[in-house]
Amino acid sequence: MDTVLPQQFIEQSLCSLKHVQNQSFQLNQQSFQQINNFDESMQALRLKLEPIYLRPLRKENVVAAVDTSTIKIGETSQGMIIAVRGANVWKQNRNYRYTRLGPFIFHITEENKKEVYNALEKAYFYSASEHAHQGAPSFLQMPTRIASLLERWIQTMLSRTINNGLVLFDGSLTSGTSETPIERMKEILRTARKRGNIIMAFSKMTNLRVNGHLITELLPEKTPPYLLETEGLKLKPPMVLLGDVYVARLTKGNCAFRLDVDKEVPFEMRIEAVERLLWNDLFMQSYPETLRLAHILCTFTANEVLAMQRFITRKCGLQIINRPDMHRLLFGPFGRGESYS
Amino acid sequence: MKLYRKEGNIVQILSFPNETVEKGDYLLVEDAEAGRALIVQVIDVQFASIPGVLEELLRNLADGGELIQGEDIDPLEIAPHITYLQDASLLICKIRATLENDNLSPSSSWLPSRSRSTIKKLSLPTLLKLARTDGKLPIVLGGTKDSSLLTIDASSLDGRLNIITGKKETGKSHLSKLLMVNLVSYKATVVVFDLNGEYVSLGMTADGKRTAQHDKIHVLTPSQNFKVALRQLNLHILLGILIHALHLPGTSAREFRRIWQALKERDNLTLHELGETIRNWICNQHVRDALFSRYHALLNSGFFTDNVAEATLLEECLLKAKEEGSAIIINLRNTSAIDRQIVVEYVLGKLVESLTSWKLKAVFLFAEEAHLYLRETYWDDIVTRMRHFGIFTTFITNQPDTIRENIYRQADNIFLFNFTNEHDLDVVSRAARVDAETVRSIARDLPPHYCLALGKVVRDFPVVAKVKALDVKTMGETRLFFKDTN
Repeated sequence: MDTVLPQQFIEQSLCSLKHVQNQSFQLNQQSFQQINNFDESMQALRLKLEPIYLRPLRKENVVAAVDTSTIKIGETSQGMIIAVRGANVWKQNRNYRYTRLGPFIFHITEENKKEVYNALEKAYFYSASEHAHQGAPSFLQMPTRIASLLERWIQTMLSRTINNGLVLFDGSLTSGTSETPIERMKEILRTARKRGNIIMAFSKMTNLRVNGHLITELLPEKTPPYLLETEGLKLKPPMVLLGDVYVARLTKGNCAFRLDVDKEVPFEMRIEAVERLLWNDLFMQSYPETLRLAHILCTFTANEVLAMQRFITRKCGLQIINRPDMHRLLFGPFGRGESYS
Repeated sequence: MKLYRKEGNIVQILSFPNETVEKGDYLLVEDAEAGRALIVQVIDVQFASIPGVLEELLRNLADGGELIQGEDIDPLEIAPHITYLQDASLLICKIRATLENDNLSPSSSWLPSRSRSTIKKLSLPTLLKLARTDGKLPIVLGGTKDSSLLTIDASSLDGRLNIITGKKETGKSHLSKLLMVNLVSYKATVVVFDLNGEYVSLGMTADGKRTAQHDKIHVLTPSQNFKVALRQLNLHILLGILIHALHLPGTSAREFRRIWQALKERDNLTLHELGETIRNWICNQHVRDALFSRYHALLNSGFFTDNVAEATLLEECLLKAKEEGSAIIINLRNTSAIDRQIVVEYVLGKLVESLTSWKLKAVFLFAEEAHLYLRETYWDDIVTRMRHFGIFTTFITNQPDTIRENIYRQADNIFLFNFTNEHDLDVVSRAARVDAETVRSIARDLPPHYCLALGKVVRDFPVVAKVKALDVKTMGETRLFFKDTN
């Protein structure tokens, strides 16, 4: 396994923390959702309401899933301290196993954000030079961008190491964005195909609508499991869609998800891949267990956040302070809206 | 450790895994700025309510209840910090006193600073020194958890009502023997109602040698070496036996009084004469029958004799005890329930008589399973009237509900061994000198031979100690069928 990137994560993490010694530290926990808010053109989007019925296909395959998460654990006078963690779960011989990477803790400031991000980018793209000159994301985007880097790296490693497997991503196969360059995603898909893997991406949330309705809510009264095909979805350049988009309703109940399957894979094989997934993984509310576990394992619990805060204060000698909350100060009980209820 | 909250006289303290604190330990919550400190005792140790712990536990069991297998690559080594927080505990503590200028007061009305207060363990020797439990007559009860000795002062048992209670085979008799031996060594008079013959070898070591107290231990076995001559008896003692032990009705008791006086006037107080006089006494037939049946009960007990020479032992023992202290063991083993009551009535009557006439200064009475031989009205007598005569009782029982609630309320010292039964703990927790939470929480987890000392002996600072081993011959063991097989 290529360990250049995690090594860089450790180095950058430690390096960034080196410059945060003996500062004051305001605890401020905030989770970042990696939501792909692409401007997808939906005017031409159509949903075929004739379902593609699925039957679990009895063929043993490895199912692997990847997810990452990031959280802000506090603020310093110069920036913020964030944590990133990735999880890879796979199901083989009826057992789930996992590898968790992290947490990696970074002190991000306006000054070091470029250095941190580019060092990680460079580590990832050490063989390519297409993005070496790219600028760093904005300060506020840094947590999700670092998490995306880790996620893409784990995805790459999975597509390189598994054979004839079903690889599940969290989100979509849309690329061409700053955090998912086209070449990077294409490379992942290409490598996966070479080894007989099929990549499928499940979106927990989608904003794709047909006639004003979310595609995941336009479910025909048919017996699941089935897929609904979409057509006509176009993205504004430079974004491209590297997968075919489906609505997947895989168990009884009203839950359905947007499912992107590598479009370079022939249609029949795509359908067969979903059928193999149905046989090889457990499903709860139409969502694959492997991906659910990956999400659960990478998510930070409150206790972990406390532990990381403790680690930082111990390691860097940070002094925890409680800055006055301006909302509370000015507006009293009306300062935080529902969070006070 | 950090002060978390205070409600009433309960303080909650957050403790981390590297701070080993257990139930029963004392802590000093010191507010240097206020110049005061709270002395609190840990009565329960709980998991601290750390947010996210449930999620973490559930996450580890994600694979259908089985632990999900995997590898954590944790380069910054955050995991030890997570477990450190997960294992944080919440100490539920009871405020015992406030320490100000080396003086203790029972006040818990002030609040130490949450941010400034320092919390440290208070060793038992320091606590007991502050509480001034030591005195001129030390009795080493045993060892405490921090390897120090728990020493009480014999004078804290003087004039007090004590209870030793706990489950079977937890060490109650052992402790009572320890107290007895020490009291005797301080020249006290100790009387023991020994139900199972457990104390008869108190003067012998385990290997059969004589102990230092051997000559001060007197075993009196009713109808063997312990008999009473009618001539020596006071009428009121005998009436006490007839009325309370043998349930003689009032009318018959009046007739008996007349018979007794007639015999006394003739200086003819013998068993034979008593029987003959009852037979020939002119009175109602029912009264005669009642008197006769009681007479035969006295006769059959074998406790009464006409030979005065046979009946001097108790007097002698009490006389010796007055001078150099001794333990008088009334061996009630193999004595029937009725005879037991006759003997106890007699001994108590005799003690009161000796104390009233100042033949004795005071007596420490140890009563094991007293409900089996003590009449109903004696319970109140013992805690009120007899205390003024100088009878200081220690009740020993494994059935705490056999001792009346008012005895618990007035008990000055309680030595509590392990109890797991809720009902038993409920009963003991009615004692005035202790709070129910302490009893329930600490007594339940006491290992065998560990006792929780409560009350004046420890100046109301409940202390757990392992009762010191005593080199005396063990008696009163349970007879086992499979003993040889095992």
